[in-house]
Amino acid sequence: MAKNYATNYKPVDLLAVAAAREVNDGDVVFAGTGLPMLAILLAQVSHAPNAVCIYEAGTVDGRALDLPTSVGDARCAWQASIAAGLTETFYGQLHSGYVDLGFLGGAEIDKYGNVNTTVVGDYSAPSKRFTGSGGNPDINSFAKRTVFIMVQEKRRFKEHVDYITSPGWRLPKWPSGEIVHRREVFGKFYKGGPTAVITNMGVFRFDDDGIMYLDTVHPGFTPEQVRDNCSFDLNISRCRGETEKPTEEEIYLLYNRVDPEGIFLP
Amino acid sequence: MGKPQQLTLKEAVALINDGDFLTFSGFTIWRRPMAFVYEMVRQGKKDLHLFEVNGGTHTEVLAGAGCVKIWESCWVGHELYGKLGEAVARAQVEGTIIVEDYSHAQCVARILAGAYGLPFMPTALSMGTDILNPKYDNLKKAGLRDGSNPKIPLKKYDIIHDTLYDKGEILLMPAVNADWAIIYASQVGDEGTVRMFAHSYVDAETIKAADKVIIIAEEMVPDSYLRQDPDRNIAPGHAIDYIVVQPWGAHPTGSQYYYDVDADFIRTFYAASKTKETFDQWAAEWIFGVSSHEEYLEKLGVNRLQKLRANSVLGYSTSVKRGTR
Repeated sequence: MAKNYATNYKPVDLLAVAAAREVNDGDVVFAGTGLPMLAILLAQVSHAPNAVCIYEAGTVDGRALDLPTSVGDARCAWQASIAAGLTETFYGQLHSGYVDLGFLGGAEIDKYGNVNTTVVGDYSAPSKRFTGSGGNPDINSFAKRTVFIMVQEKRRFKEHVDYITSPGWRLPKWPSGEIVHRREVFGKFYKGGPTAVITNMGVFRFDDDGIMYLDTVHPGFTPEQVRDNCSFDLNISRCRGETEKPTEEEIYLLYNRVDPEGIFLP
Repeated sequence: MGKPQQLTLKEAVALINDGDFLTFSGFTIWRRPMAFVYEMVRQGKKDLHLFEVNGGTHTEVLAGAGCVKIWESCWVGHELYGKLGEAVARAQVEGTIIVEDYSHAQCVARILAGAYGLPFMPTALSMGTDILNPKYDNLKKAGLRDGSNPKIPLKKYDIIHDTLYDKGEILLMPAVNADWAIIYASQVGDEGTVRMFAHSYVDAETIKAADKVIIIAEEMVPDSYLRQDPDRNIAPGHAIDYIVVQPWGAHPTGSQYYYDVDADFIRTFYAASKTKETFDQWAAEWIFGVSSHEEYLEKLGVNRLQKLRANSVLGYSTSVKRGTR
């Protein structure tokens, strides 16, 4: 049966839908607040009913009746299989190796998928501070796949981020700071890394060298426009074409099942 | 040890000295000991050293009021209701606060080590990040890793080679043993048994890791009641030193099964926190403009509080409008 694609949707809807499609049925997903939460919840009510969602505040596989506004919300605990706190989610679930997919955000990203959510400028004398790392680098360290959901802006897609909050594919190995492949940093603890970045303009993936390329471009944009919104020389030669549009059903589910109150989707 | 002592809020806050090392209960905008935090500002506490597994609205109140000298944590903000921690950010940019960044799970490792009486806890999370960049060790730069303060470790972290299973390099995170854990609890028994509703976060570990523990309880109930379901309790009375009973003591943060987050209040605070002047105006009204938490609640008004009141089955308010629909 041909899919019934939506003719009327907002950029943020496509972002949520494209992100949800990264979830495989049965995945154990560790998600942050906001769009990552919408994406996993949409996946659960559409193609991935057996996906399990972990929120870092402590709940595993909750079945919220109402959309949580943060991962610490009482709503996350409703019908959860366990609600055992951060030690359980970070060490009992994540460090022990259960997590398939991490869903995260970021303020800045570089071509190796290194993400900054800490400061603008030199860390020793920053011009601006963001929220800080939160669980972003932890989830991104041990999830087998990580998907970042971000806003596409030239100043956010940088050759080098000012501060590596969350580890991408090429990283400093401390204490020397020599830049090496992620595999060398994590050694026998290596499980995977960033696999996709989804923005309001396109979907990006990483090649064998851990360098970001444009995989699909969202309807209404050209690959060149996406490249012009990156500070580094984005590889657009592998672009497969347009990102699949949201279906009518996905839009219906987003606005009626996932976020009927208009919390993240006003 | 022995039975915890019951105090008034003002008496409990008076126990805190300038320069003391504090940790708190809760998670971002949930179950924070706000009444205690407001009273610390009223009493003019200075040079506080905070370790927080994560920060939130309470952090911003303390940082904005100039009470904080050292902040070791991983995150500060107000979730959906204010995306940055403006007061901490301003203080870091101005250099009036020493910030030491860890990752969230590294913070958990630190409090776990502290809770279990270990000097450190290993973790392989967040390797290869600038959190570990030796140039960015701000406590060392401030000359505070010389061993003179027994609460500050000699190194921010260490890296060891696993000699037992040969898994390669792994991080060691230093224990945190603060002077005080200030814990907002859903219920405390008359003998000090502590129960949290819906989420436990890292509250049990935070209690165990501190030298002294002050419980700010929404309700005091008979210990015999809590002991009917011991699996739901997170700490025994002998771990608790002082108890303050303070209804609505977490407002504007949420307390599951009692009241929801006061989103409008936090949004207003967040807007005010963006400059020193507007923060001070806000504090003049909501902290210094009232003499007690009871007066603060009176100023908020019954209608506002009633709207936040949690549904007793769901654990959250069903009468607050949260979105645009």
